[in-house]
Amino acid sequence: MRGFGAIYRRELAALFLGPLAWTLLCIALLLNGYLFLIYLRGSGGDVDLALRFSLGESFVFWALCVLFPPLLTMRMLSEESRTGMLEYLLTAPVSDVAVICGKFAAALSFMGILWGSVFVYAGVLAWQGAPIDWGVVCASWLGAVLCSALFCGTGLWTSSLTGTPVVAAFAAVVINLVIVLLPLLAGLSGVTALAIASETVDVPSHLRSAFVFGVIDTAYVVFFLAWSAFFLFLSTRALEARRWR
Amino acid sequence: MISVSHLTRTYGSVKALDDVSFEVAKGEVVGLLGPNGAGKTTAMRILTGFLPATSGAVSVAGFDVMNRSLEVRRRIGYLPESVPLYRELRVEEMLGFHSRLHRMPRALARQRIPEVLELVGVRERSRDLVGNLSRGLRQRVGLAVALLPDPEVLILDEPTSGLDPLQRIEVRSILLDLAQKHTVLVSSHILPEIEAVCPRVIIVHKGRIAADGTRGELVARLAGGSHVRIEAVLGKDAGSAARLLGSIAGVSSVRDCGKAGIHQQFELVCETDLREEAGALASMRGWALRELSWRAPTLEQIFARFAIGQDEPLPVAAAPAAAPAAVHTAPERVEIDLGRATAVPASKAAPAPAPEKQIYSLNPFDRGAQRDLSRPVSKDDPPAPPAGPKPD
Repeated sequence: MRGFGAIYRRELAALFLGPLAWTLLCIALLLNGYLFLIYLRGSGGDVDLALRFSLGESFVFWALCVLFPPLLTMRMLSEESRTGMLEYLLTAPVSDVAVICGKFAAALSFMGILWGSVFVYAGVLAWQGAPIDWGVVCASWLGAVLCSALFCGTGLWTSSLTGTPVVAAFAAVVINLVIVLLPLLAGLSGVTALAIASETVDVPSHLRSAFVFGVIDTAYVVFFLAWSAFFLFLSTRALEARRWR
Repeated sequence: MISVSHLTRTYGSVKALDDVSFEVAKGEVVGLLGPNGAGKTTAMRILTGFLPATSGAVSVAGFDVMNRSLEVRRRIGYLPESVPLYRELRVEEMLGFHSRLHRMPRALARQRIPEVLELVGVRERSRDLVGNLSRGLRQRVGLAVALLPDPEVLILDEPTSGLDPLQRIEVRSILLDLAQKHTVLVSSHILPEIEAVCPRVIIVHKGRIAADGTRGELVARLAGGSHVRIEAVLGKDAGSAARLLGSIAGVSSVRDCGKAGIHQQFELVCETDLREEAGALASMRGWALRELSWRAPTLEQIFARFAIGQDEPLPVAAAPAAAPAAVHTAPERVEIDLGRATAVPASKAAPAPAPEKQIYSLNPFDRGAQRDLSRPVSKDDPPAPPAGPKPD
């Protein structure tokens, strides 16, 4: 993993030096903040319920989860291969794995910062005297980040396959949608194979049944980490295959 | 330092490199020369470990580029043709990033970055964004990046492409500086470039090595040597002149190029510049000299021979460009041994059939109004009738 740190730093800097990250962050924070207020009112002041909505239950959470990671990762490999930066990186003394992992970690850190806004909400409420269960807040945040890791993985993979960022983003969004909507698709189609598959890789319910209640189930942690690692592995292979072509 | 043996690389059915073998010793500066699509970039990408070879063995600094890729990459400074740099970073940040990729100690990097920026002459632009720099400056920053970790081997892919002539000269002088400390492999399709920088040249054509050697070797081996051209009024001497010229030590043969007006033309085929000897002979014999020049085939002509596929020796008549280079290699002045003149067999002169020479007469009254004005005067034309009134 030589060079991981350097790549990570540079990718994170690149994200925040461009306008995209700030735009995304602005949209997400406005939306999240406003919706949190609505959830809080709707739940009659139940902070736990509002937080649960914010980080797992609501439609907006999943929309951000499906859309944002591909937008962050779309340029990471596809543009580098087009501008020739990949030739520079892959002839520098860093391994392919370090390149992929550094970029992945940068995208994931951004998502972590984005979901980290709940700490601010909870903090403000605690300051106002509301009882906050910090364990639940942290576990929900962890769940959201793990879920984003999976989607960053798919985004990075599609980015490694094509030279056009937009195509990479679009493909990743489609894959993410399929992952999120798999239980729904299984229910609608009534195919048994699909139903079994959806039970194993039911991402939304993994998040909803554990993390948002403050339960850190190692099985689910491993589930998210393993699938992220799988997509990172595919990206590394795609990067290698690029050279053989 | 670099060892390539039986390297082959195919893209689908296209053979980009076909059984290429060469060695580059430590401290050597080698130019990789070839037309576009000859396989130069592919070879360099394989050397840097960016592309895998289809077959063959490549090692740099004793490490196999496939199996010990990271070891090789640590020892190489590579400047790809596209000069990849992060546009949103400042020049010094870009170098800082590269130093971190190479895991240079921070103190060393802090000392080395201004050093290399100074070397390539962009020190005062170190706070500029890379994206705002001109093409030439970016090229230099790319060079600085490649030089930063002080690599043992420098691989530069077309380092002067897209530069204006002035920048080209500057990059060339930087390269000459580097040549003293590093093993350098430079590719280019611009010949004067390579000619100026690299003592040794590898000519690649259609994925194969067409020639490999020093410039002088290539010139001698492939272009039939260089020659001194002499054009003088010989008068009655013409017959023996060829024999006399052939007697100069170092002249391997004399070509008789026929007459241009009253001037007889000869080409003395020789390895070194023998103008002084030929001139001394001319003055001794009292020949009225009109031209005495040293002509060596340029690398460009040799190269064109491969690119176009001509097999016969090149016409070396044009471009007396390379003369200064040869002056360095010229040995001590050789004394002309006139006594040998008679001993030289006549066959050595080997007079070629004189080509048709065309003469443009500057005399407006030459051959009068009967002359066909649409074509130049030829020596085979019927003698001019007595012209009109002589200009006074």
